[in-house]
Amino acid sequence: MAISLATNAATDALALNRAPTSVGAQEVHKWMQDFNWDFKNNRTKYPTKYLMANDTKEQFKLIAKEYARMESVKDERQFGSLQDALTRMNAGNRVAPKWGETMKVVSNFLEVGEYNAIAASAMLWDSASAPEQKNGYLGQCMDEIRHTHQCGYVNYYFAKYFHDPAGHTDARRVRTLGPLWKGMKRVFADGFISGDAVECSINLQLVGEACFTNPLIVAVTEWASANGDEVTPTVFLSIETDELRHMANGYQTVVSIAHDPAAAKYLNTDLNNAFWTQQKYFTPVLGMLFEYGSKFKVEPWVKTWNRWVYEDWGGIWIGRLGKYGVQSPASLKDAKKDAYWAHHDLFLLAYAVWPTGFFRLALPSKEDADWFEANYPGWYDHYGKIYEEWRARGCEDPSSGFIPLQWFVENNHEIYIDRVSQVPFCPSLTKGASSLRIHEYNGKKHAFSDEWGERMWLSEPERYECQNVFEQYAGRELSEVIAELWGVRSDGVTLIGQPHVTKEGKLWTLDDIKRANCVFKDPLA
Amino acid sequence: MSLLEERKRGLTDPEMAAKIMAEIPDQPLDTQRKMGYYVQPRGKRLTEYEIMTCYTQPTPDWISGGLDWGDWTQKFHGGRSSWGNETTEMLSSDWHEHRDPAGRWHPVYVKAKGEDWRVLQRFMETFSAEGALRTIDPVWRDEILPKHLGALGYSEYGLFNAHSSVLRDCTGDTLRSTFAFAAFDKVDNSQMTQLVRTFITKIMPGYDDSPAIGKKEWTQGAAYKSARETVESMWQDTYDWNEVMFATHMIYDPLFGQLVRREFFQRLSPAYGDSLTPFVLAGMQTYFQTTKAAMADIYHHCLDNDKNYGGFNRRWMHVWMEKWLPSTVAAMAEFMSIYATLPTRDGFTDKASIAASVNRVVEDWIVDYANKIDYKVDQSAMVATILAGLK
Repeated sequence: MAISLATNAATDALALNRAPTSVGAQEVHKWMQDFNWDFKNNRTKYPTKYLMANDTKEQFKLIAKEYARMESVKDERQFGSLQDALTRMNAGNRVAPKWGETMKVVSNFLEVGEYNAIAASAMLWDSASAPEQKNGYLGQCMDEIRHTHQCGYVNYYFAKYFHDPAGHTDARRVRTLGPLWKGMKRVFADGFISGDAVECSINLQLVGEACFTNPLIVAVTEWASANGDEVTPTVFLSIETDELRHMANGYQTVVSIAHDPAAAKYLNTDLNNAFWTQQKYFTPVLGMLFEYGSKFKVEPWVKTWNRWVYEDWGGIWIGRLGKYGVQSPASLKDAKKDAYWAHHDLFLLAYAVWPTGFFRLALPSKEDADWFEANYPGWYDHYGKIYEEWRARGCEDPSSGFIPLQWFVENNHEIYIDRVSQVPFCPSLTKGASSLRIHEYNGKKHAFSDEWGERMWLSEPERYECQNVFEQYAGRELSEVIAELWGVRSDGVTLIGQPHVTKEGKLWTLDDIKRANCVFKDPLA
Repeated sequence: MSLLEERKRGLTDPEMAAKIMAEIPDQPLDTQRKMGYYVQPRGKRLTEYEIMTCYTQPTPDWISGGLDWGDWTQKFHGGRSSWGNETTEMLSSDWHEHRDPAGRWHPVYVKAKGEDWRVLQRFMETFSAEGALRTIDPVWRDEILPKHLGALGYSEYGLFNAHSSVLRDCTGDTLRSTFAFAAFDKVDNSQMTQLVRTFITKIMPGYDDSPAIGKKEWTQGAAYKSARETVESMWQDTYDWNEVMFATHMIYDPLFGQLVRREFFQRLSPAYGDSLTPFVLAGMQTYFQTTKAAMADIYHHCLDNDKNYGGFNRRWMHVWMEKWLPSTVAAMAEFMSIYATLPTRDGFTDKASIAASVNRVVEDWIVDYANKIDYKVDQSAMVATILAGLK
């Protein structure tokens, strides 16, 4: 078989030129768009109403081996810091107790988001037709596995070194007990993986990652550092280096559908729904964790929110997508109102049901109260007085037999759970924008706290018919449920959740809870 | 204070650190410090891989092994659930039972592959410096590698894509990471087939490293018709995530994949003076063996031995064997036609050598896969069917 003249010439030249040569990742990647081929049934298993272009490129042009090398270098730095310097400084224990408790929630709940994002990225990889676009989603898929393990590692590290390991050791098992869990699943799990693939991308990449990872993953490192925690910044800032790839993926998702005129019909509605879904949970929960879960404050949450969510994301990031027909969500202005009071409303409820947590909570100290009043004028009159009353009734002391949940019952402050967001709210006590709406569907009543969620429900109720913790355990006594859902420490009787973080305070046990005789009740029954 | 300004740290600022230390109790509040202490270890004690991976999947208890309760908070349009038992015919008493024998979690995985990349780059520098390309037979270099190593790249790329829906739908966390790593290895393999040709182009300008030749062979060549159709069917026609993985990793890849990678390129390359291709393929074979052990744990150790559903699962595996084996064997038979296009080499391209080669693949597969689930195969008949494809 003959070989070409060019080949012959090159082979001859080879004898003269034997410089050491290798191949860079980009030289392989440049062929990637040709890796696909057409065939009859080449379509996604996850249909989307959008049309993704066949020639969409990716911004981070990596091949598998180069990806592995880069991530491995990041890992070496991260684990080197954790296992060497930080361990020798006993940094895992020298953390403000309240913050060490906060990280039980932050790290584990973020882990859930990361884990579900593996499946979400895989769905997008399946949906895209362009090999480069698939490759971008694949890179994200691998990143999400990395982040799942990194978040787990934060809990693992604190379990080894923090002075209260309970909750860090078993968050994956006990987290389902509290009323914040289902809402977390809505934004960080099902919202990413269940729906139109592009709608899920908008939830995950365009809103979850481009909007809320800045306050969640970046701002949290500043709060952590202020409170003695250098473990979280070491890990989370390493996570954030990958998030840029994910934001780029979200951008490319929009680029890939923008050529289709029909996209304009759906895109802004899907974006608005995704934004409201994400903000409905993150706005109050992050604000609550930062401000009520810390000893040293960084800045008022409303300022953080305004900078990252309203200006940076709603203005600049969405502005860049304006040429593709993307508009700032109509619900952004309502969300801005929530950013002021919603986290204060939520902490009131979270503290009231503290026995269902896998972390210890603390009433605001005098120092905290002064800070709240200075930054949120009117805070004391609405919230501060209630905390003073609870403290006076001995809510921190097991011998009092008083759980603040009882105060809600005594004062006819009914607690509902919004069906669409799964976020609890108390209409008679809220200072934020929530208001009660009730609809009947499939022979059952459903509560809602805002217009945007109500709209989603009315459009597609079958997507959100999920029972909440009050319905699931209606009629059951609280200590029974806590024991059933593994809410106790290694002695089998002391609760993981506690209403204080003081050294001197006694720890509540199942018997203490039983004496209070709290029974789960469905307010809509 | 602006976020850009220096902020005091609680760990290092003496005043803040003192306030924090004053709040820390003298003794820990709990004696249990092992994260995931409730996880059933596969070995004597929990490994870091198990601690990092187990129960990261937040499924409810009506999916076996799940720790959550209740329904999904958001479903697909129309009400289909986020994850569900209906996504596979397999049944399990605990979808969290699987363990990757290699204990791979993300840092372990990327460290190994990153090292492979560094080693490969050093190898390429040595190979080029030695002018080792000069020893490669021109037909092998200019005809076989572009066509058939290129076509192998498409097979690997198709298998890679067969994993996407599996990663979306599978119901366990240890399963998801095993499948993800297997997928990543497959796309890596496809890229490495490209790298071989791009590398040759760099040291031999004028050599065509475009994937077009391999693509044409894969999409239009008679030698790959059944292989291509099998891969397409695994990728896009099959919705059961266990069936996709079983067909890929328990049938097609250990038969067709091993025939092409190990018995064609690895075995024949030295005969044509090619020390480049076997070096690159050695990485693929390492990945194959690691994946093989992980898949054996899923389909043999866990699902075939499931205390409640083992017999039921085995029946389904037999059904899938019946469904996917014929097209895989046909793919191997069609691949035989390539041998006729090779310059002859005694002990490599003669019929007896090829028959021995096919026998090795089939025998390995029967011992390591079919026998494990008591699936009866006539080795001689299967080998004869494949060899019938020789021209």
